Amino acid sequence: MTGIGDYLRVVYTIARKDLLVESRSKQTTNAAFVFALLIIVVFSFVFGEEVGSRDVLARGALWLAVVFGGAVGMSHAVALEGKNEAIAGLLLAPVDRSAIYLGKVASSTVFITGIGLLSLGFVVVFLDYAFDMATLATVLLVVPLAALGFSAVGVLLSILMLHSQLQESLLPVLLVPLVIPIILSGTALTEPGLSEGMTSAWFRILLTYDLLVLVAGWMTFEYVVEE
Amino acid sequence: MAFVSVSGVTKRFGTHVGVDDVSFDLEAGETAVLFGANGAGKTTLIRMLASLSRPTEGDIEIGSEPLGSGNAAVRSRLGVVAHETMLYEELTARENLRLHARLHGVDAAVCDELLETVGLASRGGERVAGFSHGMSKRVSLARALVHDPDLLLFDEPYTGLDQTSLKRVAAVLEDLEDRTVLAATHDLERGYRLADRVLFVNDGRLVGDLETTAFDDAAEVLEEYERRCTGGEPRAVTSGRAVPTRSTVAGTGTERASGTNTDDPGGSNDG
Repeated sequence: MTGIGDYLRVVYTIARKDLLVESRSKQTTNAAFVFALLIIVVFSFVFGEEVGSRDVLARGALWLAVVFGGAVGMSHAVALEGKNEAIAGLLLAPVDRSAIYLGKVASSTVFITGIGLLSLGFVVVFLDYAFDMATLATVLLVVPLAALGFSAVGVLLSILMLHSQLQESLLPVLLVPLVIPIILSGTALTEPGLSEGMTSAWFRILLTYDLLVLVAGWMTFEYVVEE
Repeated sequence: MAFVSVSGVTKRFGTHVGVDDVSFDLEAGETAVLFGANGAGKTTLIRMLASLSRPTEGDIEIGSEPLGSGNAAVRSRLGVVAHETMLYEELTARENLRLHARLHGVDAAVCDELLETVGLASRGGERVAGFSHGMSKRVSLARALVHDPDLLLFDEPYTGLDQTSLKRVAAVLEDLEDRTVLAATHDLERGYRLADRVLFVNDGRLVGDLETTAFDDAAEVLEEYERRCTGGEPRAVTSGRAVPTRSTVAGTGTERASGTNTDDPGGSNDG
């Protein structure tokens, strides 16, 4: 199996399989979405009246929900791969194993983007916050980019910890510090009225981080998955 | 030229040595059984042959191609049935097989034929989550055969199966005469019937490599295994193979070609 067409076919096959499995089990979706909802509801109760700036409150709640909902979702998704050692079946295929990595990153990106968009809805409803159109457009662009970087690190880390007894509790602890550049750029980029120069700078940081972690994962996945 | 060549393979997990300097060859079409107690190193050896685990030392070749990173094509020659089924429970049996057919670049039509072979044609549209262990194992067997591999690796293929599944799996395995098969099993009775050779593994080392024709029944094989594990004198056998060390494999290989009993404990892998 060679050529870019075959490579992309494997990426698509893996991503499609992941989304199909998730659409049936809904295990990860439920866990992540409930977690994101809880964060935003707790935010609305605790900080609703105390925090002067609604912008700060909305952005904080949105990115906390995305990061922690994503981390919970990722650990559940990898638990599915560990069950019956299903991932070993994928690794036995005569394909470039980096294509498996990219497939899993793709499905995870779709999933975390979904959490982000739903969290956006929760913020609007529970925090009674109205995004202006410019900020909303930026959020819709930033969330998938943040999800890509988050997934690129998360997939690699969660596969590394697949056989760890503490996987589900340890993953968020290790993952969150690694995605700090995403949290920083995400919160900055969704700030209303950010200057053009700052927007451009934060986008460059986010895109560079995405590219770096994606290339690092793509290059090292083969070695990470072999015992 | 051997189809499978395992040369001086060692696997360490920290300070623990899981497999210790194991060497053997398998000819194309040959069926061998790895026999050993729990923790002897059978699964580790099978996982290394399946490219799921990297040897700490030594080399593995399949069809003269080195097994390892960057050689994905070699994996197309491998079919593996392990302890775990490697199936997604949320997918149906047919979807699981089609996933693997796509990854192997094989026509999906073969999936229905294989479901028929393992006796699950009528259940192909059901999710694996609802299957018994035996049924899942049969789907796993079909998964391993989906790309018509040359080498089949089985890790405890009979464990935990009900009678129906046991018969089905045994029938499929006995039907694989043209393939090269290496099976790790505790079920020496079935393993003995299946195999041309039996490889004894103890504490990560290969302590015997004998042709099954040297024994009248499985009980004799077990006796011989116990004798070797306890350091007793191996019985004289009229056919069998030397247990090669790294040096003999790297050398001329004359020790392997003798054809008579060369199963000398002095030549065994003692570290």
